[in-house]
Amino acid sequence: MHNGKKPNNNVEKISRFSIRRSLSVALRVLNMFRRDRRTMGMMLVIPAVIMVIFGLTLSGEIVNLPIILDNQDVGYSVEIPFVGNVTLDVGQNITNALDNDKRVELTYGIYEENIENVENGDYFAVVHIPEDFSYSIFNITQGITTQVTIKLYLDATKPPIRASIVGAIHDSLSQIIGDVGIEVEQILAFDGAQFTGYDVGIPAVMGFVITFLLVLIGTLTVTRERIMGTEDRLYSTPLSTAERLTGYVISLLAIAASMIAVILLVGVVAFGATVRGNFFMLILVAFLFGLAHVFLAVFLSNFAENELQAIQFAPLTALPSMALSGMLVPINSLPVWLQPISKIVPLTYGINLFEGVMLKGWGFKELWVDFLVVAGMALLFFVLAILTVRNRMKD
Amino acid sequence: MSITSDYVIETKDLVKVYKTGKVKAVDGLNFKIKKGEIYALIGANGSGKTTLLNMIIGALYPTSGEISVFGYSVPKNRRTTSNYIGVAPQEYSLYSDLTLKENVRFFSRLYRMKKPEFEERFSELLKILRLEDKRKTLVKNLSGGMKRRTSIACALIHSPKLLFFDEATVGVDPVLRTFFWEYFNSLKEKGITLVLTSHVMDEAERADRIGLMRAGKLIEEGPPQELKAKYNVESIEEIFLLLSNGVIVDA
Repeated sequence: MHNGKKPNNNVEKISRFSIRRSLSVALRVLNMFRRDRRTMGMMLVIPAVIMVIFGLTLSGEIVNLPIILDNQDVGYSVEIPFVGNVTLDVGQNITNALDNDKRVELTYGIYEENIENVENGDYFAVVHIPEDFSYSIFNITQGITTQVTIKLYLDATKPPIRASIVGAIHDSLSQIIGDVGIEVEQILAFDGAQFTGYDVGIPAVMGFVITFLLVLIGTLTVTRERIMGTEDRLYSTPLSTAERLTGYVISLLAIAASMIAVILLVGVVAFGATVRGNFFMLILVAFLFGLAHVFLAVFLSNFAENELQAIQFAPLTALPSMALSGMLVPINSLPVWLQPISKIVPLTYGINLFEGVMLKGWGFKELWVDFLVVAGMALLFFVLAILTVRNRMKD
Repeated sequence: MSITSDYVIETKDLVKVYKTGKVKAVDGLNFKIKKGEIYALIGANGSGKTTLLNMIIGALYPTSGEISVFGYSVPKNRRTTSNYIGVAPQEYSLYSDLTLKENVRFFSRLYRMKKPEFEERFSELLKILRLEDKRKTLVKNLSGGMKRRTSIACALIHSPKLLFFDEATVGVDPVLRTFFWEYFNSLKEKGITLVLTSHVMDEAERADRIGLMRAGKLIEEGPPQELKAKYNVESIEEIFLLLSNGVIVDA
């Protein structure tokens, strides 16, 4: 026996860890990265984009919620001995306070005429201050028991938005007149729909899951053809590119269908999420939204040479979608210059559709614009896929 | 188009320059292949054989020049010509997670073959290619030679009139190779045209005509016996070495 250090037939026993070997592996990995310019670029771009987008969207609280104010208060003038004529206009004071509150963005209008603007989703609330508001406040200060009510017609489908609006109104009241027991009557839109917990989150999550998973699975599935080397072989067969893409779309739709079934099952059955609208409408929404993302995936996969490139499209699509679609904070609360970008994010319309059907009980009548936009986007992605698809070997 | 259709394949001043390189992969190539011919393209790796094949099958677009297949201009009419062409590419180019049969059936469907017609042809091919007991095996579990034969089955399933074998006999054992050549000859008797590439020179001697390629050009062409007589040598390999002017090429 020998101790391992001693040469045996001039063959030295060497088993120590070599950092040089590790370094050669590391160098090899980095070198291949360097060669894949796209992946390298993405590794630098993705964190930057996601940091910026989430930083901008998550930093602030909920602001700029559009509400309509109907201030009917005519004020109240009273002759106070030794002081003179005093005019109270509490309605105007509250208006000013709300105007200064950044949580809400005021528009002025008649209460009755604007209820439909809450029902159709353009505004989150209408606030009504009664004609005799100042007079009633005066009476209260004189110790006369008076019933004073501020009416609030409100979209209560999202608790944080509701809390912000109600908070803004309460703050303005206590700021102007202190705690004098003014009732704020909340009338809830969409037939009294108010939700908590899972109900509120599930519709947006369903849209997000479809966006993320279909882009991920779709791009990977289509890119596999390229990686396996079978794509080049297909160019020698009578299969046309349109036939090929249609084939991918059909298979991905089948995958999407089973995925959507699971999403609906988990969302509605397991979480017990509310579906106020038609369930078939919900299925239709899910499929239309899924179709758009299948097309998007086929389109994006035209730009991926390998799995590493393909896999980047999913987070690059889904994460900004999440931030910009109003899933995390209402679009109105985003920085003004970011808001137009929300308009080109499919998930913005997807969430409108899912929330519309599930939380507000809407159908085609209220959602046709969103339906049209998603269908238009689907068509656009399909056309782009056809226009950018490779129809021959790389040269 | 000045090309007439007396030939199955005809190219005129065919040039291919890849975007990634400035070199002409195919450089002003003119060649004609008659119906029922077995034509072997030989040359070192990188001499342009595969590029030329890919252009003829319409999978790769030429930089300039003309191609005619069955009298149709390619790539313009490639959807027509591809119905009558079978290609066994250099790589296996198979779906490794599908079985042998699923692979062949997939390709047969691209030619719109009906199931009974497929079943008959498939059984026949499996017998010829000695793959009868492998029909349900996943392609990824097949040996290299079996994958090669599966790839050939995919190329033959629709009974093409024109066949391209790119290095088809690589990884095929000598016994089977002999058998292949018997089969090639039987196809030839049916009027089927075969174009194969190889860098195994002795293999090319079994072809009716051979074409020697170097740097994208056809440097010599003719029946093997005639060429050997012309250069007064024993083998095609010697002609190849002679014409290469002793230049070492990557083979």
